[in-house]
Amino acid sequence: MNTIAPFPTLRRFRRPLALCLLASLIAISSTRAPADELPLFGPEAPTVGVHGFVSQGYLASSEYNYLGDSSQGSFKFTEAGLNASFDPFARTRISAQGFSYDVGPAGDYDVVLDEAQIEYTVNDLLGVRAGRIRRPEGIYNDIQDVDLGRTWVLLPQGMYNARWRDFYVTVDGGELFGDLPLAGAGSLSYQLYYGFQRPKLDGGLALQKANLPPYARLVSFNSPLLGGGQLWWNTPWDGLRAGLALNNDQDLTFVNVTGRQSVGSPWTQHYSLEYVHDDWTFQAEYLRFRVAYTNSGGGLPRSQVLVEPDTWYVSAARRLGSSFEVGTYYTEYYANVHDRTGATLAFPSDAAQKDTALSLRFDASDHWIFKLEGHFIRGTAQLLDNIDNPVRRGDAWRMIALKTTFCF
Amino acid sequence: MKPYLLRMGLACLALQVGALGATPTPGALLIAHADVPADRIATAVLKNIYAGRTMYWDGGQRVVIAVLPDLTDSALKELSGMDASQFRTFWQRLVFSGRGQQPLKANDVSSLVALVAATKGAVALVPANAVLHGVKIIEVQ
Repeated sequence: MNTIAPFPTLRRFRRPLALCLLASLIAISSTRAPADELPLFGPEAPTVGVHGFVSQGYLASSEYNYLGDSSQGSFKFTEAGLNASFDPFARTRISAQGFSYDVGPAGDYDVVLDEAQIEYTVNDLLGVRAGRIRRPEGIYNDIQDVDLGRTWVLLPQGMYNARWRDFYVTVDGGELFGDLPLAGAGSLSYQLYYGFQRPKLDGGLALQKANLPPYARLVSFNSPLLGGGQLWWNTPWDGLRAGLALNNDQDLTFVNVTGRQSVGSPWTQHYSLEYVHDDWTFQAEYLRFRVAYTNSGGGLPRSQVLVEPDTWYVSAARRLGSSFEVGTYYTEYYANVHDRTGATLAFPSDAAQKDTALSLRFDASDHWIFKLEGHFIRGTAQLLDNIDNPVRRGDAWRMIALKTTFCF
Repeated sequence: MKPYLLRMGLACLALQVGALGATPTPGALLIAHADVPADRIATAVLKNIYAGRTMYWDGGQRVVIAVLPDLTDSALKELSGMDASQFRTFWQRLVFSGRGQQPLKANDVSSLVALVAATKGAVALVPANAVLHGVKIIEVQ
């Protein structure tokens, strides 16, 4: 098994590169030419569409450290992306996106090639993409780092974990996509993909593994093959759609510093419902994850551990005029569907995390937004930075989140 | 979506234009770049274009949507089921997930017409009294 780093991360240059990315965004947006269509190759050549965003957030919690040192207030909540696309031939599009992020201990401003794909659309029924593609799952997975695309600062973290950004959002491989009309029953949109996931040793999943028993740092992580798909039924009722996503990793494997190896093939099932009517948007999603890890080596007996969390949320948001949007969601996350009360845990509050969020979004312009959000939380199942949260109780705790995003 | 609903939606433009103090005009027009290979288009197909499900014209040219905020919001809502803010957010999601390109935006009618005339594959809704140069009108069926 190899220890694979997908691209050199240029760690020592990450902050200058992140600043260069930000400077590029500002420079491009200030040019006289329309920022989103640039005739870079001459007036007769296809134009290049260029878009980007930079987001800066702030998190503060009444207790515990969540997504960073939030108990002291944390600005380690930054995202920036710059993408470009053009159509070199009929029905063909090439696009790429660079991305940098920092969420608590994850990301650390590494600049990565986030997306690089070539796409050919045969017709509305069938198209194909290849390269590093955004992985569709549910309403938000392929856009979970795009602050512009939602009301909330923080998506329900049990379902869209900001710390798993390094590998969960993309897949290196191929995808078939299309939209199938269903006569009077609307249409069925599909995306079927297969390729490699690339979790990083300094990414959020590795940090999670290191902060769970046996609390041993990982020294290698493979790049498992992942196959799956997302279906959307676009119903005949305007604004209503229902989705189903399934995916399976094959032999996700990691080894910790003691030589203990864990191998498992996780399954994910993800159900979605969305209704948009006038100024209202209603959403509901449920996700169930299941993996049986086989552990061996490291001088210990062979063992099996079943990991089976689930999570759901319901939300409502309303647009108020052209500038304001308010919303709320309630979500529950359970670390183990077979022990929802924490009866088998040293800290029973680690069994679940329930969160009520209230959000306000202000669009100062088409290119600049601000968000203010409050969270009322019970449970500590998502507080996986155990070193920073040595004592965890079931009392309610609170968090505020602020964020601003510039885009073009 | 039934054609009569689209005509009702387009007719609402007259009320909106009237509210802005301009000369009231009955409805709006769908215009396109002169090379767009269509002289008429079904409402369902047009709806698929504005919802991002149809990305290319026959012949393979990419569809480029151009929008004129405020003056065409009602017709846009009728076509896509989204108001202007929802429409913008929807397309931002497509752009940053690598699945689409942001519609172009113009600040006034004459700029929009010029933009459509200069952009291959472009399509846009304009008020019916717009002065048109270098573009074609597409009949919505």
